[in-house]
Amino acid sequence: MAYTNKLRVIYGDGTLGLSGEGFHYIFSYERGGLESLKLNGKEWLYREPMPTFWRATTDNDRGNGFNIRSAQWLAADAFHKCVGIKLTVDGQEFDELPIAPITNEFSDAVFATDVKIEYTFETLTVPSTTTSVTYEVMANGEIKVTMHYQGHKDLPGLPVVGMRFVMPTVATGFDYQGLSGETYPDRMAGAKKGVFHVDGLPVTKYLVPQENGMHMETNNLIITRNTTQNNADHSHEPFSLKIKQTDRPFAFSCLPYTAEELENATHIEELPLARRTVLVIAGAVRGVGGIDSWGADVEEQYHIPADQDIEFSFVLNAK
Amino acid sequence: MDANIKWLDDPETFRVNQLAAHSDHYYYGDYDEWRRDDSRFVQSLDGKWQFKFAKNPRERVSEFYAKDYDSSSFDTIEVPSEIELNNYAQNNYINTLIPWEGKIYRRPAYALSPDDSQEGSFSDGDDNTVGAYLKRFDLDPALRGKQIRIRFDGVERAMYLWLNGHFIGYAEDSFTPSEFDLTPYIQDEANVLAVEVFKHSTASWIEDQDMFRFSGIFRSVNLLAQPLVHIEDLNIRPTVTDNYQDGIFNVDLQLQGEKTGNVNIRVVDSDGNTLINETHPVAPTVKVQDQFLENIHLWNNHDPYLYQLLVEIRDDEGKLLELVPYRFGFRRIEINQDHVVLLNGKRLIINGVNRHEWNAKRGRAITMDDMTSDIKTFKENNINAVRTCHYPDQIPWYYLCDDNGIYMMAENNLESHATWQKMGAIEPSYNVPGSVPQWREVVVDRARTNYETFKNHPSILFWSLGNESYAGDNVVKMNEFYKEHDDSRLVHYEGVCHTPEYREQISDVESWMYLPPKEVEEYLKNNPDKPFMECEYMHDMGNSDGGMGSYIALLDKYPQYFGGFIWDFIDQALLVKDPVSGQEVMRYGGDFDDRHSDYEFSGDGLMFADRTPKPAMQEVRYYYGLHK
Repeated sequence: MAYTNKLRVIYGDGTLGLSGEGFHYIFSYERGGLESLKLNGKEWLYREPMPTFWRATTDNDRGNGFNIRSAQWLAADAFHKCVGIKLTVDGQEFDELPIAPITNEFSDAVFATDVKIEYTFETLTVPSTTTSVTYEVMANGEIKVTMHYQGHKDLPGLPVVGMRFVMPTVATGFDYQGLSGETYPDRMAGAKKGVFHVDGLPVTKYLVPQENGMHMETNNLIITRNTTQNNADHSHEPFSLKIKQTDRPFAFSCLPYTAEELENATHIEELPLARRTVLVIAGAVRGVGGIDSWGADVEEQYHIPADQDIEFSFVLNAK
Repeated sequence: MDANIKWLDDPETFRVNQLAAHSDHYYYGDYDEWRRDDSRFVQSLDGKWQFKFAKNPRERVSEFYAKDYDSSSFDTIEVPSEIELNNYAQNNYINTLIPWEGKIYRRPAYALSPDDSQEGSFSDGDDNTVGAYLKRFDLDPALRGKQIRIRFDGVERAMYLWLNGHFIGYAEDSFTPSEFDLTPYIQDEANVLAVEVFKHSTASWIEDQDMFRFSGIFRSVNLLAQPLVHIEDLNIRPTVTDNYQDGIFNVDLQLQGEKTGNVNIRVVDSDGNTLINETHPVAPTVKVQDQFLENIHLWNNHDPYLYQLLVEIRDDEGKLLELVPYRFGFRRIEINQDHVVLLNGKRLIINGVNRHEWNAKRGRAITMDDMTSDIKTFKENNINAVRTCHYPDQIPWYYLCDDNGIYMMAENNLESHATWQKMGAIEPSYNVPGSVPQWREVVVDRARTNYETFKNHPSILFWSLGNESYAGDNVVKMNEFYKEHDDSRLVHYEGVCHTPEYREQISDVESWMYLPPKEVEEYLKNNPDKPFMECEYMHDMGNSDGGMGSYIALLDKYPQYFGGFIWDFIDQALLVKDPVSGQEVMRYGGDFDDRHSDYEFSGDGLMFADRTPKPAMQEVRYYYGLHK
């Protein structure tokens, strides 16, 4: 029996599987997130997407001491402490995660129309605050991802608030509808609106590697790869993942490196061989500043204050 | 006269036997040479020279300039080029601290006491690398039998010159032409030219620019023959009348050589109409005076209209001896009673950049292609102005700015940052030039050379006295020099903002660097008595140029604000081969084991060092396009 308008739900003992026409997702109960995002047989995730709070510091950040004031966000970006998972299927929230024996009465033919799974994290800051990442999976395979950062008045300003996706192989390029070039909240007046294609995953060649490649005000994004890590996959046909905005545009960067990898290099040639695609979808981006590089901070309206809640969402595998 | 190495220690000796600075005009034998830009009077000495390097003065080869010196142990070096980039001496990038920081204790001569001559400071300096250059040449047939001089377009930082064993002269001021008369000792064939270049002299205190510290003959060297009658200097003074429609043309010519013949002076517009046509007998000074021209075509950024001046010198038989073409423009810059800067009667807005001369492989020995590429980038991105930070540039750059309507702030070769600022705080106890009498003439001479060389370029709207050199009586003297010689431009100096007691005597404009928008507004709100600009702003280090809109918005609110120059145009980084990966990679300060260094702080450009634009350029293009 096939329900093309329903999600097939596979209740595992460490994961929850969801599948439908052309997609198969696995949410891990142990690893704090979406472990597998498989579209038409191609895996899109190397590790679980996680909240991201750090950007590779810019010369301006270092010059005004932002990296020192906000250093704890680097730890919060590197390590994640998942403190809770909530699963809701067709409006019914499970009291506890459904593994055996609770699920012993289920079968291989369980279907649902709407599945929501929420991961809650405690940030590794002092004091800590919480963030939650909610995946809401629709019957057509679209996943609405919502990240909520809970503000805390005793925390320093944030470099970025977003979700980081690491994909198994290097993308051949990406296409997006948004603003031309590399943009930041305080440097986007000169950008043109339009649809743009970027070949490969270019890293802007700043003399010392630093935050780069941000694209503000994006409506949608399509990432294309043509390789996988699957030893049985012999195809090199391109395949794509589409991400679209919900109620408002998002910001993103698509690079072969994490913020930590960029932060570690003092020259561009010290960056490791490009192996992955690192996608950051951001709900808040700090400006780059520019008054000087030895003390003047980014203008205040382009800071990300830590004391306010930040919530943003986007759709993965958008149709 | 013999050369004396002690000149390196003496701030009062900075030019010996050097010819007086004069206008930068080219001269030809006939019209065809002009069209081909191939003057019969010029012989290039660029190319391979013999070279011997020494780590300090004590280890240098002695008397290598002797006619019979055996130079078989010499290497070869390309002229022009930087000694460091030929891997003889260590590359070093350092900003405000002096290059010998933590290595040698020095004070500028006479800065602390009138008796403190600091003898041996540089002539026996362990860090004072020496390049001995030899060039053997025959005179081109066309140059033989004529007066011959040699012109060095740029040598860092102090040079001694010999020809055929005879001492010719000594020069400092690394970034302006140095000319010497070779006539007494030149031969038709087998000449031996010797140049000894020292990396340091007293000039090092006042050439403490934030940049890679290089030395060597880094710009071209030419032999120049003199026609029988020669225009040594040209002083074109086109002025615009109060109605901004008509012009008054003056030109003074200083002639040398034979005393007979005629000088024909013509001014031709771009349609080929002759507007002025005067012939005068040859005399030491020939002038065209107060020629009134109705309805002139003004020069500006959008319409860089130039008139053609043609000066022909003919002998009594009518044979052409020398042709001097020069393109000039009519434009008028002034400050009105409301303290607003006007160009041709309209408010001037500077959408500028600071530009170091830079090539990632060649250092400051840049090429014509680099210059034309930079102009193209300016035009594509609404950049309408350049500050020649912090020294005069190669001569062709000034012509390019004339032709392309780029407003120029022509800066003197002066920066003495290390002598008055210590770890960010003002500490001027041993500042030079300051008011130290022994440092007066050297800086006034730099003002004079900058003026005399470039005075005919319409693109220059501002003379800049220098960069970050604090202020004292000697900077006042530089200001006075320009005021006495040039009423067609404004004088700029930022350093006076640290010395308000000199504010009335120095600089026509209020200039700061990196003042945040709110503080700029504070100045502008309080009845400014001088128009305001930022000679450096929007520090473009790495991923930067955010918040530019806050500055640009002030232009709409305050007419006394006339913009600024972004710091800066191009990253200063060096393209070298990475021994690990084998790839060509960009390297910056500290990457050559050079200490103290300021590391990546020279990577502040709108352009990467390979002349590709940074992503921020689209923002500059937009904001600079708002007040075109």
